[in-house]
Amino acid sequence: MTSPASIAPPGLAALHAAAAAAGLTVSASASWPQTGADGEVPALAGFIESNFSPLLAEVAARALRGRARPQGPGNVTAIVMVTALGDVTSAVRVAAAVDAGKRVSPLMFFQSVPNAVAGYLAVRWQLTGPVVCVSGIRAGLDVAALLIEDADADEALVVCIDLAVTSGDRDRAAAILVTGPADRERHRTG
Amino acid sequence: MADALAAAPAPAARRGSGEVVVTGAAAACAYGRGTEALVSGVLSGQPAFAPVQRFDVSARRVRFAATMPGLPDLLTEVTRAAAQACDDAGLSSADRGRTPLFLAIHGDPAIARAPDAAKLGLGPEPFAAAVANGCGLGEQDIRCYTSACVAASTAIGDAASMIARGHADRVVVAGGYLVESDQFALFDAGRVLADDGQVRPFSAGRRGLLLGDGVGAVVVESLQAARARRAPPLARLAGWGRTGDAYHPVQPHPEGRGMARAVTAALQRAGIAAGHLGYINAHGSGTGHSDPAETNALRLALGDAAADVPVSSTKALHGQSLEASGVLELIVTMLAARNGMLPVNAGFLGPDDSCRLNLVLHEPLGATAEFSMSLNAALGGANTALVVGLP
Repeated sequence: MTSPASIAPPGLAALHAAAAAAGLTVSASASWPQTGADGEVPALAGFIESNFSPLLAEVAARALRGRARPQGPGNVTAIVMVTALGDVTSAVRVAAAVDAGKRVSPLMFFQSVPNAVAGYLAVRWQLTGPVVCVSGIRAGLDVAALLIEDADADEALVVCIDLAVTSGDRDRAAAILVTGPADRERHRTG
Repeated sequence: MADALAAAPAPAARRGSGEVVVTGAAAACAYGRGTEALVSGVLSGQPAFAPVQRFDVSARRVRFAATMPGLPDLLTEVTRAAAQACDDAGLSSADRGRTPLFLAIHGDPAIARAPDAAKLGLGPEPFAAAVANGCGLGEQDIRCYTSACVAASTAIGDAASMIARGHADRVVVAGGYLVESDQFALFDAGRVLADDGQVRPFSAGRRGLLLGDGVGAVVVESLQAARARRAPPLARLAGWGRTGDAYHPVQPHPEGRGMARAVTAALQRAGIAAGHLGYINAHGSGTGHSDPAETNALRLALGDAAADVPVSSTKALHGQSLEASGVLELIVTMLAARNGMLPVNAGFLGPDDSCRLNLVLHEPLGATAEFSMSLNAALGGANTALVVGLP
């Protein structure tokens, strides 16, 4: 197995281009860091010791707040998370506790999979579509397009995130809200 | 929150027009390697749980799991299963080279203890590339699913959807989880493991889940492509549904609304009514909240048929295989229906009024199930339903 030079998520421009290539229309987007003011990731109640879930929640909220149109009660939004390594900080903390013979916090159980923060997002923003986590932005956008094509969702929130694992790097995330090709006209006129 | 879901009209699930089949399968679990070991183990009705020997559990509240002997290696086991599924499907080297791999996995088990610089190469994608390389599958379009206990079933649903729409002719979907110290510690800390050493789905006195080794692989293919190479299908992959609850970060919707929508979508895509289902391999985790929610989901989606269709959760036999559950349990469902013998819902102590279903109890049930369903659910309110039909 070879080591990639970087696992950082794509920037917003690349994400928009990839979405267009997948036949998707971007209705809102956000990233972290977005400005120089993006220093400490805001804490998220119930999630500890790692920036993974708080950062995912923060960048998703930024994109969702930028929605271009109000959502009707029947609107179904899928959550598609894209990450190369997942919550590697939590994994390292758990391994260290296990190796030291220490007990693990029950909160770490829930955040050991990306689904928990997706569940938080689903409740907070009433995203009633499927929850998926894959590696690779192309896979994430293909999954989003397929869910929309199959009428399992009207739109998809695609959140790309990876934490820094080497010194000098930093935690990065980007989120886009996408609809299918059939919605393009509705966006232009609505 | 339930009101918001109730107000949302359930859109009719769409699918492409292509027929989708499964032409190959392979598995490994505590009962041994191979689908024969899995089926005979499950039909024995004897749970595979035993005290964990693989790592130190002396500090844990619960000390049981269903494990294979020794220290199996995840990459070796998943590669072997994927290769065996390809052999089972009769795929040539050229066929394999054109077939992508969808892999359901928590991650590379080595990543948490690797030096920082090495971590970059220990994500699921390099792991999947090594699997693909090891069994001659194409390294193009590899995809990894890491969405917990619905990872493999979501991958299978996506593969079926792509094939039905003509986006792909064939996909190998594999999943793997081997019980290890870190997830065991997490589940123990979360107090979701059964401290009596048995999983008792839908039963009074159920005390939780237990982890189990699970590795599985299936070749999902268009009927047209299978016919072109004269490969006999093991089963039709007739319908699929994936939904989210939007109810709670880690608890299922108590009325089972999200799972009910997944069941309905899968039935719609299969083009069958609830009464056509002859068997349901339930998610049936054996935990306090999840089993009643699933029961309610089945009542909501199936109506009167929920009282009749035989149901069992084979997690009470082979254990909870996390990201691999969906593929292992689909194989059980598919092969049980082919054999005309439905596995028992082991560990049952007595009825629980919140979990009234037609459970298969005491011994396997001889039955013809033209259509069967495999259900999975995960943290975050994620649900999947897969409908398989006899070929």
